[in-house]
Amino acid sequence: MKLKMFRLFSVIPLLVILCSVPMPAHAAKIRIVTTLTDLADFARNVGGDQVEVYSLATGVEDTHGIPMKPSFVPIMNRADLLIEVGFDMEHSFLPALQEASKNPRIQVGKPGYVDCSKGIIPRDVPKSTDHYAGDVHPYGNPHYMLDPVLAKTAIKNICNALVEFAPQYQAEFTRNRDAYLAKLDTKIAEWEREARPLKGVKFIAYHEEWNYFAARFGMDFFGTVELKPGIDPTPRHIEQLITSMKTEHVPIVVREPQFPEKVPKRIAQQTGATLITLPIMPGGVPNTETYIKMMDYIIHTMVAAVQGRK
Amino acid sequence: MKTILISIIMFLMFCSSGFAQTLEERIKVLEDALKKQEQTIKEQQKIIEELKADIKKGKPEEQQQMAQPKEAPKETPPPAPPEMKQATPAEQQQIAQPKEAPAPAAKETQKKSTLEQVQEQVEQLKEEVGQVVEAQKKNILSVFNPAIGLVTDVIPSYTSQPSTKTGKDRPGGFDFWLRSVELDLAASVDPFARAYAVLNASADPVTGEASFTVEEAAIQSTSLPWNLTLKAGRFFAEFGRLSYIHDHELPFVYRPLVLDEYIGGESKTDGFQLNFLFPLPHYLSLTAGIGDQFGDTPNDVGAFRHFNQLNFWSRMSTYFDLTPNISLETGFSGLINPSTTDRGGLLVQPDGSIMIERQRRVLDLDLTVRYQPLRNNQFKSLIWGAELLYSDNCYLVNPTGIPGKALFNRTVGSFGLYSYLAYKFHRQWTAGFLYQWLENPQNNNIKISAYSPYITWAISHWNQLRLQYTYTARNGAFLLRDDSNISLQWSWIIGSHAHGWQER
Repeated sequence: MKLKMFRLFSVIPLLVILCSVPMPAHAAKIRIVTTLTDLADFARNVGGDQVEVYSLATGVEDTHGIPMKPSFVPIMNRADLLIEVGFDMEHSFLPALQEASKNPRIQVGKPGYVDCSKGIIPRDVPKSTDHYAGDVHPYGNPHYMLDPVLAKTAIKNICNALVEFAPQYQAEFTRNRDAYLAKLDTKIAEWEREARPLKGVKFIAYHEEWNYFAARFGMDFFGTVELKPGIDPTPRHIEQLITSMKTEHVPIVVREPQFPEKVPKRIAQQTGATLITLPIMPGGVPNTETYIKMMDYIIHTMVAAVQGRK
Repeated sequence: MKTILISIIMFLMFCSSGFAQTLEERIKVLEDALKKQEQTIKEQQKIIEELKADIKKGKPEEQQQMAQPKEAPKETPPPAPPEMKQATPAEQQQIAQPKEAPAPAAKETQKKSTLEQVQEQVEQLKEEVGQVVEAQKKNILSVFNPAIGLVTDVIPSYTSQPSTKTGKDRPGGFDFWLRSVELDLAASVDPFARAYAVLNASADPVTGEASFTVEEAAIQSTSLPWNLTLKAGRFFAEFGRLSYIHDHELPFVYRPLVLDEYIGGESKTDGFQLNFLFPLPHYLSLTAGIGDQFGDTPNDVGAFRHFNQLNFWSRMSTYFDLTPNISLETGFSGLINPSTTDRGGLLVQPDGSIMIERQRRVLDLDLTVRYQPLRNNQFKSLIWGAELLYSDNCYLVNPTGIPGKALFNRTVGSFGLYSYLAYKFHRQWTAGFLYQWLENPQNNNIKISAYSPYITWAISHWNQLRLQYTYTARNGAFLLRDDSNISLQWSWIIGSHAHGWQER
């Protein structure tokens, strides 16, 4: 009797699998999942009323370390589009989530998989991916989103994916994209004007997140608190960093909110530099819910820090 | 039956679709961008040559055109496509609309300057494209190779009792154990499936010679319909929480005793497993599988294996976000081997009786509660994990151990559990405590409990040291004694290392 019960117990799951009816794939709105909040902001601006957007990150996380929550899986399972930054930025969590989602529409190479780095030339492409250099990204530095001009490419890629998915809304998506790009162009001109005092200013940050930003606004990204990408600083590294900062008169220490304050604060105290906390995606600090607000915050804070020292 | 099963597998495998490679597309985009830049320079050089010729002729209307140079820069903005080197709006304005009517010499200087700028940008672009191309070139030789990683795990340790008093494989006293050298290979097979293999070599406890085993070698579908994933081959079956995790990925040094005793270490099986994600807004996953063994010890089935001599298992799991920072994950698993044949051989008991396993049944309830603050989850977390197992095996018993005496069947119900708390207080440091308690699955009067404080130092993502002390108390175990063990585990990884869903 017991044996029969156990046999039944083993067969029931198979029957459940075979009898389950999947939820309808079609829905009124286009369901978009983005890895980061800046991509979510872009998708909302381009997609308008036709899209429903969910970001895996809330804005405060490390861009390389979004927790792999099983609660993401049903959301990704029903997604029409999955939008990622690319350049291997999301390698620590996205491939596993994609696999767990069992959604063939958003797998690599499928139309629903949107790699926003398409068309962007990466910086700092490593000559070797040996871990001696830390947790390097084989395709280059993925933090291009902090350069608003490059962010425009991401916006265009999102628009193209939306048009491909729902060509009936092409006019609307194109109109939304153009309006948002025009708004962004105006802001870029404004940011470049505001950022003139930043030209040539040296700064350090916790992680190699500011290379594109520095290039766009003429700053000198002097070094990182981390020994190598993803590798915690050693006492010797901090000592050397402090010495070289003093020699080179580096006035700014940037701390990204997902990293602890202790070491950057100590470096700032010992070098006389100004410590500022800057978000790396919308929502990283209060009042930065959109990409434009975030860039406003970054530029204003950076300029205020530089001008405050004069 | 076999034909039906094979047909189902084949049908499911070919219902999926494929991958595409984006790397080449990216290089192509860059090359196109470079070509456009070169085209732009040629056009501008042509314009300048024309303007120079016109200046020499001294035509006033052409001089006027110099101030508004044929609109060419407007139509083909100099630093074109890959946005990277695109001029800012202010710069574009400067290029397209030179300031009002400068003198001809000044205009020419300005043109030259513009040309130099563009040339400089093109050179920079070439350099950057070159970097990307170089970065891709280095993969060319190994382009068809799978991702390869090598994981090594060594454990120097000291145990206060000899192995005869602890019942362990490893000797007492000082021991330096190369627990595993694990070669991991993984790649897509085709557009419909991925495959991976884990080949393991470890040192024999007595001779020290390396013994080689295929821990896993499996194929897994990538895009079956109806939320299904099929895995086949040799693999660690999804059962409970830690039985399908490789040794070096465990949160502590040694696999919990209850998993060793009730499962047989890792849930290794040769068979297939189907996973189904319920199409619900809430995460609910169901796994069911069938295989010819489960755990390290195979059945001795003789010349013909009947269907009821196979192992069947399933696991249902779900997850709740209690707050954005706190989550609860739980699962319920079951395993049955309806007719076990001599699994583990003759099991001699302390009272002299001999048992042979005839039927195997195990139930498992697992629970993981995580506090993982979103903002600094890489630096801080608190995890409580626990697993409760119930073994309800049936044995054929020879009460005296003397051949020819009357045999009878006995079902032994035994419980066992482990529970651990791991506090990560730094990106590199985690401190934890593991508690274990179990009844022997053949004789539930024998009880073992163990207490293990430990600390982990993750020097980097690929290099980790862990120090663990374990006090093991054996209650009612014939000839066995309590013991203390201190172990230092050093694990490192070279090459590729994927972050799998199961190891989250």
